[in-house]
Amino acid sequence: MNGQDPSTDTSLLETPDMSTPHAVLDRTPSAYTPHPTYRLPPGSARHYQNQYADMYFARLAQLKPATLAIAADAFDTFSIADETARRVDRVLDVRQGELCWVVGTCYMEMPLKPNVLDDIGKEHWIAAPPTRVKYDHPSVALEAGEGAHGAHAGGTGGVGTQIMLEDESGRLRLTGSFLRGCLLVTGAIVAVVGTENKDGDFEVLDLRVPDLPRQPQRWEADDGNTALTGKKPGSKKKRPRAGKVAIVSGLGISGDEGDTLTLDLLLEYLLGESTSPADQEDASTISRLIIAGNSLSHASPIPSRQDVITAATKNAAKASGTRKYGYDSAAYNAAPTDRLDQWLASLLPSMPITLLPGAQDPTSTSLPQQPIHAAMFPHSRNYMAPPTATTKDGDGEEVGWFDSQTNPADFTLDGFRFLGTGGQPVDDVYKYIAGEERLEMMEAMLRWRLSAPTAPDTLPCYPFQDEDQFVIKDCPHVFFVGNQPRFETTLIEGPVGQAVRIIAVPRFKETGEVVVVDMETLVPEVVRFEVFD
Amino acid sequence: MAQEYTEYLAINVLNEQQLVSYRSLSRALKVHSNLAKQMLYEFHRKQNAKRPGSVHATYLITGTRRPESPSQTNGAHSQEDGGDTVMQSSPPLPGSSAPQHEEDAEEPVSVRSVLLVKEEHLEQAKATFESITGIHIYSLQANGLSDVQSLTECNRKITASYASEDPLQAWKQYGTIQNPNVKRRTQRRGPPPPAPVAKAAEPKTKPLAPTTKPTVLERQASKESKASQESKPASKPTSKPSSAKATPEPAKKPATVKRQDSDIFKSFAKGRAKPKKQDSQSSAEATTPAAAEPEDEPMGGFSDEDDDAEDGAADIDEVPQEPEGKSKKEREADLQAMMDQEDEIMEDAAEAIPDKTAAEEDEGAIDRPVSRQAEEPAKETVTVENGRRRGRRRVMKKKTVKDEDGYLVTKEEAAWESFSEDEPAPKKLKTAPATSTNKPTAAGKKGAAKAGQGNIMSFFSKK
Repeated sequence: MNGQDPSTDTSLLETPDMSTPHAVLDRTPSAYTPHPTYRLPPGSARHYQNQYADMYFARLAQLKPATLAIAADAFDTFSIADETARRVDRVLDVRQGELCWVVGTCYMEMPLKPNVLDDIGKEHWIAAPPTRVKYDHPSVALEAGEGAHGAHAGGTGGVGTQIMLEDESGRLRLTGSFLRGCLLVTGAIVAVVGTENKDGDFEVLDLRVPDLPRQPQRWEADDGNTALTGKKPGSKKKRPRAGKVAIVSGLGISGDEGDTLTLDLLLEYLLGESTSPADQEDASTISRLIIAGNSLSHASPIPSRQDVITAATKNAAKASGTRKYGYDSAAYNAAPTDRLDQWLASLLPSMPITLLPGAQDPTSTSLPQQPIHAAMFPHSRNYMAPPTATTKDGDGEEVGWFDSQTNPADFTLDGFRFLGTGGQPVDDVYKYIAGEERLEMMEAMLRWRLSAPTAPDTLPCYPFQDEDQFVIKDCPHVFFVGNQPRFETTLIEGPVGQAVRIIAVPRFKETGEVVVVDMETLVPEVVRFEVFD
Repeated sequence: MAQEYTEYLAINVLNEQQLVSYRSLSRALKVHSNLAKQMLYEFHRKQNAKRPGSVHATYLITGTRRPESPSQTNGAHSQEDGGDTVMQSSPPLPGSSAPQHEEDAEEPVSVRSVLLVKEEHLEQAKATFESITGIHIYSLQANGLSDVQSLTECNRKITASYASEDPLQAWKQYGTIQNPNVKRRTQRRGPPPPAPVAKAAEPKTKPLAPTTKPTVLERQASKESKASQESKPASKPTSKPSSAKATPEPAKKPATVKRQDSDIFKSFAKGRAKPKKQDSQSSAEATTPAAAEPEDEPMGGFSDEDDDAEDGAADIDEVPQEPEGKSKKEREADLQAMMDQEDEIMEDAAEAIPDKTAAEEDEGAIDRPVSRQAEEPAKETVTVENGRRRGRRRVMKKKTVKDEDGYLVTKEEAAWESFSEDEPAPKKLKTAPATSTNKPTAAGKKGAAKAGQGNIMSFFSKK
């Protein structure tokens, strides 16, 4: 230790040796194919007048078959006191006292959940209520009508929470102590077995979710393409050993603080300029950087509540002039965007980057967030795919070296399927569920097959018409979620051997941490950048 | 080579007291970053051997830190991973049929740290490491580093000063990890230069363009509205020399013509005309004294007063404006340079302007009050009583009214005002009237001119 450690490389603390040239390393290549799963139709084809009800309808239609299949396995033999559970098609067909099972969409009624009808009713509110940490409220008294039922201290919900199951026909209130142990949020498709009690509530005895969808084999998409192009799939070339991928989120460049030193350290590390030769070699195996949201800290087109308050106090202080359409152009600060652009441009000559937007980034605020526009990156956009290359279907699209992606994003990296978000879906699910186990919530999202289960209820999203694009069709190998309070990871398995690496990526600005995932083993490690003081 | 880096470091670190990081050194000397790190080390060692404490260093340590380190930003990991066992108590997930959570929650996640530390804390920091895989000097500076964050300045300088380098070629010599697969657009439009200097310069020139436009338009607009700023014979000559002196005529005319039919500019004109008028007015005034004297004959009452004001001992107004006028002149020069570019349309201008001036001369509604005052001196009734003068005098008051089109129009109106002042003051007043008919009016008029329309017109009018 303290430098006496034999493993310590002190070669850089020696007299410069001009005779032996220092090695210049080459970076491991990265095989990358983005999938346009979360791309919205361009301009004129994008319609916002659709009803969100269609989305729930589509979601149920898409996930019902899978849920039915799983539930049928489990519930068809389910019997209590010689009564076998019977499948009921619609929730309204449930008969009192009869053991049956039914599939529907979950709906949560919670005391603190934002409700548009409440908003209209309470127009006398001076300001919008603060953002909730949790929609659940433990101290809300039982004064609400369902207090009489007293049954809704269900797992997910505390007092005052009602869980309902709905489909095209109607709604059914769920109850029973079993629910206490379930993670449930609005929008999840579930199958429940039980009976209707005398209060007209459905006593749940067991519950099933769609579970993980089919997981493609590694390199499946690539091999499929080779097959299509006429080459024999068997003749695939020997693939080089894949490197690593670095995932970072929450760079949070604000431009008003001199706190970007760790950002510089990260840059130099990834470029392979800092650290010792051995570490540099390690860095050269990092084949790609993924930025999972919130690269900027105050750039959302809809300023956060906090930003508005700060801006208001600032304005009051200087009593600024009139603003046109409520926008104060003088308050716009280009420095953070410029800094981000410079940072990316310094990195791009050495490594490819995939950029996902997050809640604070300058793009659409509703999910799926569309890529941050190239105009934000005057320096880095030389590495993006030229705009002419964008084709309608997205398949023929040239992949940019710097790929500004959607949020959520779906891509194949070194043969593995990745699904990632900037964090909003998990943060919203978190509000429904008591507890702090974000990994469980991420797992639940995968098992519900929904990348944004609470959209459109409490998470703004595009009103999909024909199908709900948040339904996960291919099980990813890696599911990463940005902007989480701390690094966490786990490996989950599906019913037919699917294995998913789940990674909660911490905010870099707060933790200085970057997650580096080995692309052969999918084992993550953390590199932390700090300044000692 | 050895001399080169020692020299560079001596100049930059010791003499210029700058921060030098291994990166800036490698850029400056075009050497591999690892070599630069060694150079920093060598220099640091030698200098401190000569004079201890003369050069401070920051170090970058890579390795694994002890988990229980107090300074760990988020002491969460290792404990948290263990803490995950809470999960078995937590009931099954959404009833999934899959095996629940036999995931290796305890799987150790390796955490590597890259830590930047100041020289004085080096040993302390090393103690927090379980194993150190590498250590090198990050930067050197002459005095202790008060704020570590200031190290970002090094990289900012690098991006700024080496922006012209092609990273794909030049970075190889710095030891940056190369990527043979990099794709960059072929039709490369050079990125905007990151030089902030250029940005700063731009806004400076920009405001000039608007300054000319509104004025010109103001004239245009007002002509149409028949508010008719008569170009008083009085003011015209005054401004003529001044403008001729400051800006060659051809420069102005094209602008006038060009903008004639642009409605947008008209709308600007209303808003901006006022400050502009003041500008041109003051510049006219400023330039007047020198230029006006030779051409005495055509000067009417108005310019007379201007002259008087110059002559009169008491022109307090003028004095502060004098230096300002200089900058105005500079601005005019800039403006002229800008307008020269628009010279092509000169012929049009020549045609357009004469009849305009004619029209202007016909009706002079707005400015009439002003000239009227020039003729009729405000009568003062003064009584002197035990050392104080009391009386009433006529002054000009500004009045802003909304006209029927909804525009704000500022008018000067004469009003009577009573005053009372000490005896000595009037003496000064009394001497002045000998030359200029009376001081107050002059002052009033100056105000009038500033707000009114006449002088701008003359400033830009066709000669």
